[in-house]
Amino acid sequence: MAVKELFAQLHEIAENPRAQLDKYLAQGKKVVAVAPIYTPEEIIHSMGIVPMGVWGADLELNEAKKYFPAFISAIVQSILECGIRGDYKGVSALVVPSLCDNLMVLGQNWKYAVPDIPYVPMSYPQNRKPAYGKKFCKASYERVINDLTIATGCKYSHPALRESIKIYNEHNAVMREFAELASEAKISAVERHDVFKSAWFMLKEEHTAIVKQINEELKNGPKADETARVYVSGVLADAPQLLKVFDDNGVKIVFDDVAAESRQYRTDCPEDFQDPIDGMAQKWANMDNCSFLYDRDKKRVGMIVEQAKAHKAQGVIVLMTKFSDTEEFDFVPIKRACEKEGIQILNIEVDRQMVNYEQASTMIQAFKEMI
Amino acid sequence: MGEEVKKSRPAPDPNSAKFKLGKIAADAYTDAIAAKERGELVGWCASNFPVEIPETLGLYVCYPENQAAGIAARGGGVRLCNEAESEGYSNDICAYARISLAYLKVKDAPEQNMPQPDFVLCCNNICNCMIKWYENIAIERNIPMYLIDIPYNPDYEVSDAEVEYVREQFWDVIHSLEEYTGKKWSDEKFKEVMEYSGKASRMWIEATSQAKYIPSPFNGFDLLNHMAVMVTARGKKEAGEAMEQLLKEYKENHENGTSTFRGEEKYRIMFEGIACWPWLRVTSTGLKSRGINMVTTIYADAFGFIYDDFDGMCRAYANVPNSMNLEQSRDKRIKLCKDNHVEGLLVHTNRSCKLWSGFMPEMSRQIGEACGIPVVSFDGDQADARNFSEAQYDTRVQGLMELMEANKAGKEDK
Ligand code: SF4
Repeated sequence: MAVKELFAQLHEIAENPRAQLDKYLAQGKKVVAVAPIYTPEEIIHSMGIVPMGVWGADLELNEAKKYFPAFISAIVQSILECGIRGDYKGVSALVVPSLCDNLMVLGQNWKYAVPDIPYVPMSYPQNRKPAYGKKFCKASYERVINDLTIATGCKYSHPALRESIKIYNEHNAVMREFAELASEAKISAVERHDVFKSAWFMLKEEHTAIVKQINEELKNGPKADETARVYVSGVLADAPQLLKVFDDNGVKIVFDDVAAESRQYRTDCPEDFQDPIDGMAQKWANMDNCSFLYDRDKKRVGMIVEQAKAHKAQGVIVLMTKFSDTEEFDFVPIKRACEKEGIQILNIEVDRQMVNYEQASTMIQAFKEMI
Repeated sequence: MGEEVKKSRPAPDPNSAKFKLGKIAADAYTDAIAAKERGELVGWCASNFPVEIPETLGLYVCYPENQAAGIAARGGGVRLCNEAESEGYSNDICAYARISLAYLKVKDAPEQNMPQPDFVLCCNNICNCMIKWYENIAIERNIPMYLIDIPYNPDYEVSDAEVEYVREQFWDVIHSLEEYTGKKWSDEKFKEVMEYSGKASRMWIEATSQAKYIPSPFNGFDLLNHMAVMVTARGKKEAGEAMEQLLKEYKENHENGTSTFRGEEKYRIMFEGIACWPWLRVTSTGLKSRGINMVTTIYADAFGFIYDDFDGMCRAYANVPNSMNLEQSRDKRIKLCKDNHVEGLLVHTNRSCKLWSGFMPEMSRQIGEACGIPVVSFDGDQADARNFSEAQYDTRVQGLMELMEANKAGKEDK
C-alpha cells in the first residue's frame, strides 16, 4: 500500500475511536479505557482485553462542570464529559493512574458521574527504583488484575503476559523507528500525529503491522525540505488545526517529548523475569524523563536539549496543557536550559476547548522568523 | 500567622494558649535562623512530612507552606507570585509554590523570612504538586531532596502494601539523612517525640471538639491560626502543653458561658478548605457580622496523629485528609457536622489546590444531603489575593445565611 493510503487508514482510525470500539465489541472482545499518562497496558492486553486510550476530546464542557471547578485540566474534564455523555458505552472499566492531582480527582468524580463504568485505580510508586518501590508497584498491578477480572470476567496468566510484553516491546521499537524516520522524511505534522494517535485505539499488533509498512515507505521516500525544524514537548499535541499551522507555515516537527506520543515508547519491559509482573515493575523503575515521574535531577530537561540538538531542531515549542501543573513546573527549568544552549523556546498554552488558533498561528510564525 | 499581635491591644497573658501557641510558631523561625547562623544545616519541609523524623534526628526545618501563608496574610502574596510568574511559572500553579519559588530567588520577604535550605524533605500525601515544587527547589539550590512518596489512597482503608512501602521509605530517608547530616536516630528519642505528638494531637482533637456545645466556646477562625503549631511543632513538648492550655480555656469558656466568638452565635457552619490568608479579616467579618460562627473544619480532625508504633505512624501519614478517597473524606466531615451541630457548609473553591477542590462539588453535595444542611461555595485562593472577590463572597455568605434561616424556620414549623 502506498504511504498516503496507510496514513489515510490511520487518520480514519484516529478520528473515529468510537468505530474502533464498536468493531472490537462486535468481535466479542472486552474493551477497557485507559486514562493518561501511563497504565499497565501490557497486563490489560494479556487478559484478552483491548486497552483504548482516552485523552479527552475537543468539546464543550457542560456536565463535567457539575463535578470539576474550572481550574482542572481540560483533558481530565473532557474525559468525564465524554463518560457522562455515553461516548464510552460498551467499555468495561476505566483505569486511572495516580500520577497527578488532576488524575486523582478524575477517579473520585468518575465513580459518581459515570457509575456504570467501574473506575480501576492504578497507584504507581514515585520512588520507583528501590526494591520496595517495585514491590509496591507489583501489588498495585495485582490489584488492577483483580479489579479487571471482576469488571470483565477475563482471566490473567503469566504466559499470556509474556506474549503481550513481546507485542508491546515490538510496537515500542517500531514507534521509535517511526519517530526517527519522521525526523528526516517528508511527512506532515498531521500525518505524524495520526500515527501516534491511532495507536491508542488499536490492538498494538495491528498498529505495528501498519507502522512497519509506513517505516519502509519512509526509508525510501522523499526527504523533508522545510527550513524551520522544531522539537515539540507537552502532554498532548492533538489539535488538528494547530498542527495545520505548523504545516501551513513550513515548520517541521522533527521530534517530540509529548506524553501521548514518544514518551509512551521510550522504555521496554524486560522479558527475562520469571514472574512477568516483576518485569513490568522493573519497566516502571526504568522509566524516566517525564514530568509525571519523580525526577530529582530533572533528567528530562537535559534529555530535551539533547534530543533537540540530535535532531537538528532550531527551536523547542512547548504545547502547555492549561492546568497541567506538573508540566507547568518543568517549564521553567526547560526554558533556562534551552536559553543556556542558545535554543529558542516558545510556550503555547493549549486546552481542549480552543476554537481560535489565530494567536497560536501568529506565535508560530513569529517563532519561525526567530529561529 | 500564629503570632498576630496587635499593638493597640493590651499585652497578652503569657500563660494563655494564644500566647504560647504564637510563641511556638514564632520560635520555629527564630530557632532555624539561629541554627543557620551557627552553621547548622537547615531543611525545608512539606507540611505533612512526618515531623517525627527531623524532630527525632534533631534537625532544624522550616515549612514553606507556613511561610507562604504568613507572607500572604501580611499582604506579600501577590508581589511574590508576580516574581515567580516573571520567571516563567504559570499562575495556575499553587500560590504557596509560587511564593516559595520566588522567595528562593529574592531571598528576602519582610513579611516572613526564613533561612535558605540545605536540603528538602518532601511528602506528597497532600498533593503531587509538592513533588514538582520541591524538585525545582532542589535543582535550583543543588541540594539533596528526600521524598517520602505516599500515593493517593483510592480505598477506604490503607492497604498493607502501602504501609510497607511507606515504612521502607521512612527508614531509607532516615538513613540517608543520618549520612548527610551526621545526626543519629535514637529509638528512645523517637518514643519521646511520638508521645509528644500523640499528646498534642489528643489535646487538639479534644479542644476542637468543644464546639459540640451551643454556643461554641470558640470562634473557628482561631483554629486556622493555632493549627500552624500542629503542622510544624506537634512533635515538641511545648506543643502538647499549649494545646492542653487551649483545651482548658475552651472548657472554662463553656462553663462560664463565654466564647472567643464575639457576639451572638446565631448560625453554626463548617468551613471547607484552606483559609483565604490575604482576605482573612474580610472572610471572618463576613461571617461574624451575620452571627455565623465557623465551628469546625476538617483541620479539627486532620492532625490526629495518634498511633502506638512505627507502622501506626506510617498508616497515619497515609491517611491525612488530602490522601483520602471521597467516601472517607465525606464521612469524616459528616461526623464533624453532626458532632458539632453544623447548620451550613461554606466551601472555599481554592484555585491553588486542585486535589482539595477537584471533587469538592460532588462531596459537598453528598454531605449536604446526609446532614440536611445547605451548601454554598465561593471562589478564592489561599495565597493569591487576585483570585477572590469580596462581593461574591458577601453574596454567597448572605445566601447561605438565608438558607440556614429558612431551614431553621422549617424545623420550627414542624
Ligand atoms: S495548597 Fe494544595 S496544591 Fe498547594 S501545597 Fe497545599 S495541598 Fe498542595
